[in-house]
Amino acid sequence: MSGPVVKDQYKVSPFLVFYLVHSVQVGVGVMGFQRISASTAGNDAWISVFGAGLSLHIIIFLIYKILNKEKGDIISLHKNLFGKWIGGLLSWIVIVYFVAMSITVLRTYIEVIQVWMFPDLNKWLFGGVFLLLTYYCLSGGFRVVAGISFFGVVLPFYLVLTMLFPVFYGHFQDLLPIFNHSVKEIYEGVKGASLSFLGFTTLFLYYPFIKEPEKSHRWAQGGHLLTTIMYTVLMIVTIAYFSTAQLEKTIWATLTTWKIAEMPFVQRFEYIGIASWALVILPNLCITVWAGGRGIRRLLKVSQKSVTIPLLFLILVLSSLFAKRENIDLLNEYTSKVGFYFVYIYVPLLFVIQYVKSKVVKAK
Amino acid sequence: MKDSGDFLHFESKQHGSSFFLYYFKTLVHETPLNEHILRYLSREPLTSLKEVKDKIPITGIIITEDLKTICEKVMTGYVIVRLHDNSVECALIPCQVKKARSVSQPEVEFTVVGSKEAFVESLDTNIHLVRKRLPVHELKAFELTLGKLTNTKVVVMYLDGVANEENVNTVKQRLKDIHVDQVVDSSVIMQLISDNRNSPFPQLVDTERPDRVVSVLCEGKVVILSDGSPQALIGPTTLVEFFSAFEDYFVNWIVASTSRLIRLFAVLFSILVTPIYVATLTYHYELIPSDLLSTLVSSRQRIPLPPILEAIFLELSIELLREAGARLPTKVGQTIGIVGGIVIGTASVEAGLTSNVLLIIVALSALASFTTPVYRMSNTIRLTRFPFLIFAHLWGLLGITICFSFLIVHLLKLKSLGRPFLEPIYPLRVQDLKDAIIRLPLSFQSTRPIQLQTEDTRRFNRRTQKEKNDFHE
Repeated sequence: MSGPVVKDQYKVSPFLVFYLVHSVQVGVGVMGFQRISASTAGNDAWISVFGAGLSLHIIIFLIYKILNKEKGDIISLHKNLFGKWIGGLLSWIVIVYFVAMSITVLRTYIEVIQVWMFPDLNKWLFGGVFLLLTYYCLSGGFRVVAGISFFGVVLPFYLVLTMLFPVFYGHFQDLLPIFNHSVKEIYEGVKGASLSFLGFTTLFLYYPFIKEPEKSHRWAQGGHLLTTIMYTVLMIVTIAYFSTAQLEKTIWATLTTWKIAEMPFVQRFEYIGIASWALVILPNLCITVWAGGRGIRRLLKVSQKSVTIPLLFLILVLSSLFAKRENIDLLNEYTSKVGFYFVYIYVPLLFVIQYVKSKVVKAK
Repeated sequence: MKDSGDFLHFESKQHGSSFFLYYFKTLVHETPLNEHILRYLSREPLTSLKEVKDKIPITGIIITEDLKTICEKVMTGYVIVRLHDNSVECALIPCQVKKARSVSQPEVEFTVVGSKEAFVESLDTNIHLVRKRLPVHELKAFELTLGKLTNTKVVVMYLDGVANEENVNTVKQRLKDIHVDQVVDSSVIMQLISDNRNSPFPQLVDTERPDRVVSVLCEGKVVILSDGSPQALIGPTTLVEFFSAFEDYFVNWIVASTSRLIRLFAVLFSILVTPIYVATLTYHYELIPSDLLSTLVSSRQRIPLPPILEAIFLELSIELLREAGARLPTKVGQTIGIVGGIVIGTASVEAGLTSNVLLIIVALSALASFTTPVYRMSNTIRLTRFPFLIFAHLWGLLGITICFSFLIVHLLKLKSLGRPFLEPIYPLRVQDLKDAIIRLPLSFQSTRPIQLQTEDTRRFNRRTQKEKNDFHE
């Protein structure tokens, strides 16, 4: 059970896990997760979202069980459970998944900007500057990554208030009748909602960077709880505001609801919203790229700097290659699917294997 | 040394014995030289230097043969006495002239209430100003000499048993690592010992108020005083400390908190308003409600320049005014302010170069940047506006957010003497928020800031200080 050694000065306090978990979950997903869930679960989609949130509490519990036992990260866990080669391969898959996630996040955000703000945005230049920002953040180490995720939650939190605007125009009777969809439809909705919850599995890599990591469990659950509540409320408001048919055609429902926000000095609130969203996207990107870089660093035993720079170039090139809406949708769908299986099947599986193996070792 | 016109050396023969005197007339105080040294030396014949040391009523007389010490001491105002022309052994008698400005009012950090004393250029006076306010033996003053040529005396002051030893050692070590030829001011030290020397943000506070120094010493911070500089350096510090005026502690906590919030707002306003103007008028017309938009459009109707050029033109002229005002004597500076502010402003609006809305915005944001109590920080804030302008021109509001993120990441990475610069906001320390963005009542300030990791965390017992919270009967 040999985990990586992290010096005390690079560790962060346990309560920051709240922000790390929450900020990596809230990203591009929240801008338009409503459509995917509602396409199957209809006006019961909020149950799907709430259900997905609740079930993930259990997954986080399992992750902590695994990691508290392992006292390391997923790389050492894989190595201990499956040996050097198979374990290494599995670790690489996890790393590729994190990198794919960062590509998804960046590309989707650029798409949102292109559609809503600047149709002729130079995606190479913008992506380059954004990744430069990411690099600048990563070069400060995990402490700065945790810091930016803290600010990425606290500073744009005022956007939560903008959820209130559609409440005045909503028809809450749309929610009724409750449970008029079959369990299977709701389950499909859970699947659709899961992309917007993903990302907290990066916990598998930054766990050794937490001071007294066992204590951070409740913070992780708290961060996730905040996400669950936020999403459920957002979903309820969205169902009340849109008709089901309309929602199916609305790719970014959250952004659309911003359009009706009106203040004495600001019209068209979505410009401000999308611009502020950069602060939400940044920690997302930072954490996933950091996790990818950290994983490679642990596997190849090279410096994280020499890994991160090519990784960022790769993300820039790959994210710019996805040009069409369908491709981006496909990218989102695949990352979502992989993430879904990773969370709901692989994590419990890991837990069982670790449990069995520790029993076997004890029996010997 | 004999080349210098102010180096005096002569031989004195009395009572059959003779002695030689050497000194710099410009470094030596005439009165004690005549009254004490010469009087005793000429009264009776001298046989040995030991006798000189015993007889002259001045402390700190050194008898040495070391040429290096002799050279060093004579340069700091010692008088050399020799009995024989060919012997190397000398007595060194301290007789420095102490010419310094008398203690005067603080000019940069002036406060309406509170002490009116400010540091001066003499190190001894400065230490005296601190010591008389903090008469405890725990107050330590560690002295060292810096600068190959200037040989500046630098003193590190801290409260023993309160200040974290690690902080003190960091300061001492960084000072010892300085190898430059001239240390003419404490600002030089500040730049040399900063954690990140490539940051426009100052990472140590400088102050000219002895009462502020005493107050931070009690908090457990470390203070650096340097000879020849009326500014003391304080560290470790945080970003919020740059926005807290010392006057905040002299007024009621509600008033103090309000003015802190106003200052914080002023900083954000100063950095962001011109870029937001550029961003909205370049890209996001739709953002502005139609009533407001018509005002803006009518003011910009005759302007041939795009918003970014308009903004840069005005920002630069404000910077020019400030720079010209700072370089000129006070009276001329005022004239420049009036000529520049009023004449150039109205003329450029009438000429159709800038819109009057932007003129108001730029003038206000310049005004807002001057509310920052620490001069260095207000310079930095004005500087940060320019990258924001460029990003605003590039990507509108989105560019502003990205530039803002760069700023946050930069601040996150900054450290002051190895302690996080953004504390207590990140890492979040709720307890330290009592004296950050707002200032809570003094009875709440019973613990020292966690950031400093002080050895004695309690300042006073809160219970005994607490008022009875009950209704009057």
